[in-house]
Amino acid sequence: MKDVLRSADEIPVTLVTALAYGTLAVMTKPFGPPDEFAEQLHRLGHLTPNLVLTGEAWRLLAHAFLHVGPVHLLLNLASLAAFGPALERSLGSVRFLGLYLVGALGGGLLVCCSYDPRQPVVGGSGALFGLMGAAMAMNMRSGRHVLAFLDFEGPRRLVVSILVNLLFGVVYPMVSNTAHVGGLVAGFLVTFLWLRPGEPSAVQTRWRLASLALAAGAACGTFAPVTRSDWLQRELLATPDPVRRTDLLRALERSLDPRRASFPAEPEQRGR
Amino acid sequence: MPAGRTTRAALRTLPLALTFAVAAWPFVLWLVHRVDAEAAVRTEQTVVAALKTGAWLLGGLLLVGLAVPLARAFLRLHGSRIWLSLSQDMAPLLRAQSELRHFESGARHFEVGRLARLRRRDDLALVHLQRAVELEAGAASHWHWLGLAQFDHGDWTAAAESFRRAEALDPGHAFGGALLLRGRALHLLGAPEALALLAEHGRRHGGSPKSHVWLAEAYTRAGDAAAARTALGIAAAPPRTKLSAEENWFRAIARMRTFGRGGPR
Repeated sequence: MKDVLRSADEIPVTLVTALAYGTLAVMTKPFGPPDEFAEQLHRLGHLTPNLVLTGEAWRLLAHAFLHVGPVHLLLNLASLAAFGPALERSLGSVRFLGLYLVGALGGGLLVCCSYDPRQPVVGGSGALFGLMGAAMAMNMRSGRHVLAFLDFEGPRRLVVSILVNLLFGVVYPMVSNTAHVGGLVAGFLVTFLWLRPGEPSAVQTRWRLASLALAAGAACGTFAPVTRSDWLQRELLATPDPVRRTDLLRALERSLDPRRASFPAEPEQRGR
Repeated sequence: MPAGRTTRAALRTLPLALTFAVAAWPFVLWLVHRVDAEAAVRTEQTVVAALKTGAWLLGGLLLVGLAVPLARAFLRLHGSRIWLSLSQDMAPLLRAQSELRHFESGARHFEVGRLARLRRRDDLALVHLQRAVELEAGAASHWHWLGLAQFDHGDWTAAAESFRRAEALDPGHAFGGALLLRGRALHLLGAPEALALLAEHGRRHGGSPKSHVWLAEAYTRAGDAAAARTALGIAAAPPRTKLSAEENWFRAIARMRTFGRGGPR
């Protein structure tokens, strides 16, 4: 097993990821008709919360390799080239790949928990934010205290870069800051709490449990979003029990319009 | 356990508790949904609305509070404490602890205790400082730091005794710090001699906003409102040099208490 991992560590994951970005970008045909482009993005794995509910959980990872155009692709390739090689050399290829996927998953889960269920999301920026979070965690861990890294120019620029990118997400509505934050938090937590040598202290163990609980909570929010209209509609269609159906209908009504009071029960229900 | 210590302990566990609460939220909604689907939606909408209102209120309060000296001083005090707790180098403490394993002496226990107290490891500090005074009872600094650790711990009787020993071994120890803190510890215990000690500290060492606020509290308890007002006026006076975050906090307290009363007479 160790030999397999050692030989897997020889794979240049950053380069492979960049090639995947490029290949998928060509496959989506961004310069073709818009309908065809949208169809290709859908086929190759854009992330839409309601599609994840229908059993297409692979989209939580696949969306992190797709892009909506050359500018989007070039920006993310530049970020990958800036952070990828150094992190890959430092962590090893297998861990680096794991980290990239964790960042993608963190961003995807947060998007599913908080987004419009029909809004598609694509791009590797959530995973790239995961890499930035990992870089920050490694800097925080390696100093004499958690803020010692601020004494150095490079790590300070990393913090500024994260803040500027988040601000960019606030200013431009088409940028999904939710995925950025999800990826950043996931990458930071995994590196700061899990990728460290030695036995964890009692405090670290508590925080490791908290991070697992957060991941479980995000998974629950993604696969059982009980307050979201599309989930309620699906459950309504699948429920034969009339009492439960009335309850779900009321919940759906309230979910679609929070200000509206609950409508009266269905006539056949009212008589009972 | 004194209130400050309880608050500190609660604040330390707050981030972890909040993380678990956020993690548990989808599960709570799911459980509510199993019982009553509409109640789950209602609960979520109510909580989200309350959080939004709370965030706006907090932001508004923060903005309004910045106009009040006490709020500004509070933010500076706690900001500096958070910064200090995040930027503490643990290496000297670990080194001192490892040195202690090779050879035990009062000075080494004192060093571990002093570094532990500076890093808010109160229980560790207390153990080592107690051992330091057992091994070297003639060092005023050992008694003084033991008194500080006991004071932090809320054991004011023991703290007053430790500060008395430090003051007896070295009158004016720590620029009068031992005398001041002994006076404060006795004040907290309700002892009448606290006023004399705090006043003596003011006479001998000039005092600071903190010592004058404490002196004012002692005067108030003794029923001397005029002297208390004078002490508060001195504490509230504009400083000649930049105050530390803690001294600034006490000056802000003095300014609030003298607000609208015309200051010292």
